[in-house]
Amino acid sequence: MSHPITVPPVRADGMTAAVQMSGVNKWYGRFHVLQNVDLTVKSGERIVICGPSGSGKSTMIRCINALEEHQQGTIVVNGVELSGATKSIEKVRREVGMVFQSFNLFPHMTVLENCMLAPVRTRRLTKDQARERAMHYLERVKIPNQAGKYPGQLSGGQQQRVAIARALCMSPKVMLFDEPTSALDPEMIKEVLDTMVTLAEEGMTMLCVTHEMSFARRVADRIIFMDAGAIVEDQPPEAFFSNPLHARTRDFLGQLMH
Amino acid sequence: MNKVDPLPLSGDATHRTPSSVGEGLPRQNRALRGPCDWVLSTFSTLVLAFVLWRVLSWAVVHGVLGTTPQSCTDATGACWSVIRARWRIILFGLYPMEEQWRSATASVIAVCTLALACMPRMWSAARMVPVWLGGYLLFLLFIHGGVFGLDVVTSSHWGGLTLTLFIYITVIAFGLPIAIGLALLRQGRYPVFRHLTAFIVDVTRSLPLLTILFSATVIIPLMLPHALQGDKLVRSLVGFTFFFACYQSEIVRGGLQAVGRGQVEASQALGMSYWHTTSLITLPQAFRVAMPATINQFVITFKETSLVIIVGLFDLMASAQAAYHSGQWSAYHTEVYVFVALIYFIGSFSLSKYGKYVEKRFQTLR
Repeated sequence: MSHPITVPPVRADGMTAAVQMSGVNKWYGRFHVLQNVDLTVKSGERIVICGPSGSGKSTMIRCINALEEHQQGTIVVNGVELSGATKSIEKVRREVGMVFQSFNLFPHMTVLENCMLAPVRTRRLTKDQARERAMHYLERVKIPNQAGKYPGQLSGGQQQRVAIARALCMSPKVMLFDEPTSALDPEMIKEVLDTMVTLAEEGMTMLCVTHEMSFARRVADRIIFMDAGAIVEDQPPEAFFSNPLHARTRDFLGQLMH
Repeated sequence: MNKVDPLPLSGDATHRTPSSVGEGLPRQNRALRGPCDWVLSTFSTLVLAFVLWRVLSWAVVHGVLGTTPQSCTDATGACWSVIRARWRIILFGLYPMEEQWRSATASVIAVCTLALACMPRMWSAARMVPVWLGGYLLFLLFIHGGVFGLDVVTSSHWGGLTLTLFIYITVIAFGLPIAIGLALLRQGRYPVFRHLTAFIVDVTRSLPLLTILFSATVIIPLMLPHALQGDKLVRSLVGFTFFFACYQSEIVRGGLQAVGRGQVEASQALGMSYWHTTSLITLPQAFRVAMPATINQFVITFKETSLVIIVGLFDLMASAQAAYHSGQWSAYHTEVYVFVALIYFIGSFSLSKYGKYVEKRFQTLR
């Protein structure tokens, strides 16, 4: 009955790169949003990405599941290159869960239906299998009793936990979080962060765009600081907070403390 | 608004919307607040009562329900005899007398199909398609015949309420899918189709339905070889369906635009294909938004079916005119029109009521 959150084995040789971006460039018109982004995320790694608004954090992780198209460079996710072909894109997306700032639950479906939809349609699970799996993950995010409700009847924190459960129902190999707590009232941030901490402790590969530095300190293997479309700093948390290499990182951290 | 509000503003006044101002007041105070309200209310009640009394006196008290025109010679009220004598023409037009049970059955099938399609539990492609296909084929089987020992009755003999219902379900059943297709193309990622559909829709919407019906029945035959023409009914139906589809497609497009970009992204992020995203996420939400406008369009279309009279199709309106046109009944056209109006009213009013029900249902789902 139990479904452990599927985690691909981390090989000792470190050859299983969950995400590999090399030389990625992207422009919005003449605005250079991503500048020569190189990033390798190994299976099981937890990456936290921070930076001022407009620095390209969201754009970068949205490139990983092709919600944004990159114009130069290569992105390989779980061994599949994002080439622009619909089939490869859908294949990548099924293995990459995403949690949005504004939850984006489907308002015309119940919580349970939200969680069952994609597994039934894209993973070819039977309804019973999908329901069992959905209930399992709803229990993991501690809201199985809300399964029959509609998203509009839940609080923001509950909605975001449903969104996490919905993504997990696809048994993704990588989870992307795009400012998952930014739209939440302060008292609801903790319940969502707790869910994410549990997920991290179970070994899920995660890329989180967030400004929750306590969360970053607690779970991140590496913290990435972006500015003006480029990765400026890429360090483990202790070094990132105590000894940032770049002045811009120091400024940013200084602003966060106030 | 503060002037009308006799209560002192309590709490935060900025949160009061005009519509909520009266809600705290006792019920009678809302309708009748001053001498002016009293006068207006009394006056309009009297007018209404007078009209109602006149109508009842004409229709019921002095109404006559005989079988011949002579039964009405002394009548001071309505002569319902004309309906009693001519209802078959009104409902079935020129359909052969002894086969009219088939026309009646076909009408019942059409109404049942519509009613079935209106049930929320039927709202999935897997159920809608068989309902419409089954209903449509059964309808044709009964009205056209040619199988199971039923004599063939060609479309030139179809008429009355049955023809009106046939036109309506055809326009809706074919027009709605076309409308969805046009809306999706106009919203889609291919610029060629975007511009093409925009052009087609905008041109069609700039033409009156009458022009389109005329072109379909008069001009097309001049241009196409006989084999490609189809009969007049089919040509009119094609034109009408397309006209409806163009209007409805703009309604659907409006609904699609109201669905947030985040919904599509969330669906895509789950690895769902374009078709799954469209059919399960965007379209269902678009229709919730577009429901009032859609019902509106459905009501308009039901009444617009009466325009086919202009190209010589024998629909409910045309057969109603035929019903009183035979010399002896010609004095009683009012009764016939009242009867026909009642039929249109029942159809349109049920649609409106149904729209209310659906909107309410959607609201509770939010």
